[in-house]
Amino acid sequence: MSSSKDNFIISLKRIYVTAFLVLCVSLLYYQIIKGNYYLIRAKNNYVRVIPERSIRGKIFDRNGVTLAYDKPSFNIAVIPYQIKNKKNALLDELAKFCNLKVKSLNRNYNRKFQNFFTPVDIIADIDKKEAFRIEEKFGDEVLIDPQPQRYYAYPQETAHLLGYVKEAASFYERLKKYGYSPNERIGISGIEQYYDDYLRGVDGGDLIEVNSSGRIIGFLGKLNSVRGKDISLTIDSRMQRAAYESIDGKKGALIFMDSKNGEIFSLVSYPSFDPNSFVKGKDEVTNFLNDKNKPMQNRAIQSTFPLGSTFKPIVAAAALQENKLKPSTTFICNGKLNIGKAEFECENVHNDENLYEALVHSCNVYFYNVGILLGRQIMASYAEKFGLNSISGIDIPYEKKGTIPVSSIKLRSRWYLGDTLNLSIGQGYTECSPLEIMLAINAFANDGFLVKPHLIKTIDNIEIAEPKSNKLDISSQNILIVKKALLGVVESDEGTSRMLKPLNLSIAGKTGTAQTNGRPHGWFVGFFPADEPRYTICVFLENGGSSYEALKVAYSFLEKIKEQQLL
Amino acid sequence: MFNNILRLKPGLKPAKIVIICLIFLTILSLSSIYSSLHQAGEFSEQEIFHKEIMWVVISWVILILFSFVNYRIYFDLAYVLYAINIVLLIAVDLFGRSALGAQRWLNIGGFNFQPSELSKIITIFFLARVFSSQTDKGFFKGAILPFSILMLNVLLIVKQPDLGTALVLVFLFFLIGFASANKKRYFIGMIIAALIFSPFAFNHLKDYQKKRLVVFLNPNAEPLGAGYTIIQSKIAIGSGKLLGKGFLSGTQNQFNFLPERHTDFIFTVIAEEWGFLGAMVLLMIYIFIINNILLVARYQKDNFAQLILIGMACLFFIHIFINIGMTLGILPVVGIPLLFISYGGTHLLVSFMLLGIFLNIYRQ
Repeated sequence: MSSSKDNFIISLKRIYVTAFLVLCVSLLYYQIIKGNYYLIRAKNNYVRVIPERSIRGKIFDRNGVTLAYDKPSFNIAVIPYQIKNKKNALLDELAKFCNLKVKSLNRNYNRKFQNFFTPVDIIADIDKKEAFRIEEKFGDEVLIDPQPQRYYAYPQETAHLLGYVKEAASFYERLKKYGYSPNERIGISGIEQYYDDYLRGVDGGDLIEVNSSGRIIGFLGKLNSVRGKDISLTIDSRMQRAAYESIDGKKGALIFMDSKNGEIFSLVSYPSFDPNSFVKGKDEVTNFLNDKNKPMQNRAIQSTFPLGSTFKPIVAAAALQENKLKPSTTFICNGKLNIGKAEFECENVHNDENLYEALVHSCNVYFYNVGILLGRQIMASYAEKFGLNSISGIDIPYEKKGTIPVSSIKLRSRWYLGDTLNLSIGQGYTECSPLEIMLAINAFANDGFLVKPHLIKTIDNIEIAEPKSNKLDISSQNILIVKKALLGVVESDEGTSRMLKPLNLSIAGKTGTAQTNGRPHGWFVGFFPADEPRYTICVFLENGGSSYEALKVAYSFLEKIKEQQLL
Repeated sequence: MFNNILRLKPGLKPAKIVIICLIFLTILSLSSIYSSLHQAGEFSEQEIFHKEIMWVVISWVILILFSFVNYRIYFDLAYVLYAINIVLLIAVDLFGRSALGAQRWLNIGGFNFQPSELSKIITIFFLARVFSSQTDKGFFKGAILPFSILMLNVLLIVKQPDLGTALVLVFLFFLIGFASANKKRYFIGMIIAALIFSPFAFNHLKDYQKKRLVVFLNPNAEPLGAGYTIIQSKIAIGSGKLLGKGFLSGTQNQFNFLPERHTDFIFTVIAEEWGFLGAMVLLMIYIFIINNILLVARYQKDNFAQLILIGMACLFFIHIFINIGMTLGILPVVGIPLLFISYGGTHLLVSFMLLGIFLNIYRQ
């Protein structure tokens, strides 16, 4: 026996024992050090949750009429692991069979994919018959996945108010940390978003055992889903519909509110969209998103516009409170006012007018003079007091606040006297949302209180306390002077809003025609009955032409609700 | 412990130890295959299990038969057997039955038979005879010529394709070559040449073989494809922890998450159900067997017998190491069964044959 062979055998032993030690160390690492990690992975492997979506809370109006609710819908789902090798062929066939675009099926698949074993809904909301027809054709490769689906009773009428729901999948990265799962529905805009925490409920599911092909081989338990809470709103669905019918066809917004406590009876924005179509996927929705009329925009609270003459009552109140003006103070209107070489116009030649007459006729020259007396700072500070550049706190997300030329804002150029004149009639740097100016004018109905607008009445049958109003530091006497004039605007024979007089509602209000680069905006803001105001209305028509158009809408709306005896 | 394992002095009779180990392995093999053939608590493939019992019985008979056949006969028959082996491999190529994308089986009298397994044992005879000469025959006669003859065998097996077995044969050539009287530098030179050549060889691999090598480098690259098996295997092994989930209770096994689990991935089932301790016991048994083979080899005076034993020990070691290594994801998945445990008739038969030869050499 040669010693070299002996050495060879010994080194062979060393090699193989070392190799076995490597195996031992690997086993030690996987089984002892990372054992718990792999045990959890093994469990996740064969234990699955078949999610059961929670029923979202219903949304009622103030009289218990259902505005939004969940109804069962049928979806077609696939299990990724089962179709992994034939996904494209299957989607092609499905698309052909159902007359859908392959692209949208693919998009749904990619968007909603969670893991290889959880069903992915690729066709949403089809009727029962169609669902069974597809299942019959494709057999085990697809499955019917019944899911609750949001449905809106008055889709166009309440779109901006209620918002809509969408599967969290598209925003999943952002929402993950808040405990949302990609299949869960989340409220987008409106009440659905603002009260999502109450409406959403908690998803449940069946805990099942599956084998590697995803087939169910055992049932481990059930986690019951928790229904979302129902909420009721201050909205009156009949008024909401009347408002929508009145403004139908005209770009703008109409808000109707309780003067005393800020409960919103109706709030519409036109053009509108169909929130029911959002659950079906993107195809129909792109039309809304690309429409240049911006139907998704809630014009009542999310856009600001120049105010025009609706700003005049605020200027009047400021001048009275600052003692720059008495009700009897008169200015002479020649139909225009010359400042240097510039000429500032009025609608008419009003001759000599006091404050009451100036408001009733909406005389620009009178307010140019008042504006000169007050100056930019005082007018702006009063506008600020009236809340024209602040968030009202209404319970709809994405509220936009107005702009007024307070000293802190950055101007495009130097401030001239002409700018002061423009400011005094609500032009120039004064832009507000319809809701903001409505709340400001409502202060005259309400003895100087700025109410907090709100939509929520009860959550889960529990009354929600009304928010408190703030009092402006303007004397009741001055408020009353302006209020009287506003009554004259509608109820006197010369008032700019006398068109509403036949309604016999004793309305006080103010019109406005705001100059723009295009057609002027039309405004009407008012409240009634003037003695003890209960209702406040604001009509805004974007590029509506004139305040006359806004008055027509207001008239039509008030007439409708009066006929229905809703007042 | 390390020194104890390395101790090369005769203690308990090696033959006895090997037989005891073999009995234990047979029990473990049958119980693990029995478990792996269950699905969700149901014994789903009884037929396969019955076949395996039959193979085990045949293997034990073969073991006893071979222990009585004088091993010197293999010296005389080495070249003839090698020629028959080549013929069988060509027959597989021409008439073989294919399964799982490979053509490896010959049907003889109702039994599916895998000549590539048999060629492992015949290659050991062949190499042992070639290298048993006590003198250095020079580079060409001592190294290049035997290698070329071996390559005939190797290429036929690569063609099936059975990459694992082919690599094992090449490996055996170098190991037995190193143990021979020839100069070491012949073989070192050839290894270097082979390493340079290997990238070209890679291009000639089947797509699934390339994929397996790529997935070995990054199993998560393809979680539903080739990497799936490795990931699931790791989960199964890791989740066994120290004591295992118990017989018939491995969830990865029972819920069908492991493909090929009664064949190439049987170790995974054992590690899942018997845990770290079970796996350690299994490794210890393997060490006992290989140690005793090498022990007998060391005190063996016949050069031919010594080389057969060295080849046998190396073959066993490679099988164990590559198989367990691939279930742990530290080596590529090359389709090599676990020694004495995996399902598969020819593989079992050949392993028992080798041990029969070992027993005979020991008795002589």
